[in-house]
Amino acid sequence: MIDLRWIGGHLGAIGDSLLQHVLLTVTAVGIGFAISLVLGLIAQRVRWTYGPIAATTGLLYTIPSLALFAFLVPFTGLSFLTAEIGLVSYTLLILIRNVVAGLDGVPPDVSEAAVAMGLTSRQRLVRVELPLATPVIVAGIRIATVTTIGLVTVTGIIGQGGLGQQIFLGLQLAFPTRIYVGVVGSILLAFLADVGLLAIQRRLTPWTQAGGR
Amino acid sequence: MSVTSDPADPPAPPTSSGGAATVAFEHVTKVYGRARKDTPGAVDDLSLSVPAGKICILVGPSGCGKTTSLKMVNRLIEPTSGRILIDGVDAATRDVTELRRGIGYVIQSTGLFPHQTIGQNVAVVPRLLGWSAARQTERTEELLGLVGLDPARYRDRYPSQLSGGERQRVGVARALAADPPVMLMDEPFGAVDPIVRDRLQNEFLRLQAELAKTILFVTHDIDEAIKMGDLVAVMQVGGKLAQFGTPAEILAAPASNFVARFVGADRGLKRLSLFRVGDLTPARPVMARPGDDVEEIRRNLADDPIGYLLVVDEERRPIGWVDPIDLPATGPLARELATPMSPFLEPQTTLKDALSMLLGADVQAGIVIDPDQRVLGSVTVDAITEVMRTKGQRRGPRHDPAGPDESR
Repeated sequence: MIDLRWIGGHLGAIGDSLLQHVLLTVTAVGIGFAISLVLGLIAQRVRWTYGPIAATTGLLYTIPSLALFAFLVPFTGLSFLTAEIGLVSYTLLILIRNVVAGLDGVPPDVSEAAVAMGLTSRQRLVRVELPLATPVIVAGIRIATVTTIGLVTVTGIIGQGGLGQQIFLGLQLAFPTRIYVGVVGSILLAFLADVGLLAIQRRLTPWTQAGGR
Repeated sequence: MSVTSDPADPPAPPTSSGGAATVAFEHVTKVYGRARKDTPGAVDDLSLSVPAGKICILVGPSGCGKTTSLKMVNRLIEPTSGRILIDGVDAATRDVTELRRGIGYVIQSTGLFPHQTIGQNVAVVPRLLGWSAARQTERTEELLGLVGLDPARYRDRYPSQLSGGERQRVGVARALAADPPVMLMDEPFGAVDPIVRDRLQNEFLRLQAELAKTILFVTHDIDEAIKMGDLVAVMQVGGKLAQFGTPAEILAAPASNFVARFVGADRGLKRLSLFRVGDLTPARPVMARPGDDVEEIRRNLADDPIGYLLVVDEERRPIGWVDPIDLPATGPLARELATPMSPFLEPQTTLKDALSMLLGADVQAGIVIDPDQRVLGSVTVDAITEVMRTKGQRRGPRHDPAGPDESR
């Protein structure tokens, strides 16, 4: 059922798909994170904005991906941009929520001590609040990344490559091997990304590993 | 916060002193919301002046505005009206971050940065002030030593790896880092158990005897106020200053019914905590070693006012008391005759604690010992109650910076 010879002969093409998949994911999560950091900071500081921001990103999240791509194609074509608009939209809900939750989780006595010691608001953000919010923010990035890796398979349908394209081609050509390559590849990628991000988070936040006395 | 260390490593010289500053409140009022003066935390026309190098305790029931008053000094809260002068300069006219970097701040929950090591935590303000890395490290080591934490052991740990008492010491070290002339402390020892609290209080008093910072210290505990304060400001709900004076003045002459109630019906007893065993002249009981000749002991006891024999060992460490009735007619003194029932008092023990120990042990006299456990004399309940009767007595020296560290 699985044609190993085909796989052996097409490692280059599979590698390209994998690379495209990674590129689509990293771009989406990267842009999504940048937007979420800004919107999350605004929502956390100017509390009344949180409602509208959460509602809008929640609404985006409910749109089925295929429908969204179909809606965008007339405007942006079968393009990388179309894929990314969709992918980025889906990361926002999770990422903004975790940015806000992470910043809210900074203990009030720690914030007060930071103010009382004469840290400016930017120093507080960079030296205290963001580091302390990192575990929660990275947890959001992990979920967003895994979700995005799954969604990128759908972008195969608008011709942006990735492992999804292997699945669609396999379906069209009734060639199961390509389907398996696409499915197993994206599962493995999601798993590795999750484990890798967890490892990065642990490196970034050594204090969370420090055991009791 | 011991400054002693082993002889091979001479103690660090006293910390370079940034000196101390006077802190004066001038008609300071803080009104919350719709100008209702009895809102919890409000402060009503507070005027008081803390001389440089003194500890001023702000004490009162919850909602009396003591924490509000404290936070107006480093402008975590801005007064509605009035001025706070630090060394004559209105705090409101100074750049707020620069003002705060020059004021140490210690709070009950410590507010240590959980993501930074103990060393980094202590160096927060020096880093903000742009000190060189070498100077930051040097200062951190010095301060950790000063608060009794071995730098090599603690520097690279995270706050979560320390006990509550250790974290509180780090909090004090951090507040002292840039050698600020003024320190604000908000129930700094409120979150630790009574034994650790007592030890931290004693260590802090010893440290303060050396550093002589101007300290504003908030507590709701009148006993802590009496123990720690050079001056005590009693506040009542509505943010009114009910009385401002030395602990002895407040205990001897409460200015109002509120103050009298707040300091408690046992204020006579509380006055005892202003004095220490070392302030009394200890009685010298007749002492003897096991094996000494009983006949000679009897002669010595004949005209002794105490009337009991204190048996000590070769190093003059106490073994116990002997009632002369139990002494044999002749022969050597047997060690077994001595009953070790008296509590041991140190010169730093407050008279209140000493009395409590004597009453608890059901004996009339306690044995005063030096750090090497050698007998200095004995103190009786009568000698302690005599202090209660004496009026207008000068407050004894409260803490002896050179004194031994009874907390170890």
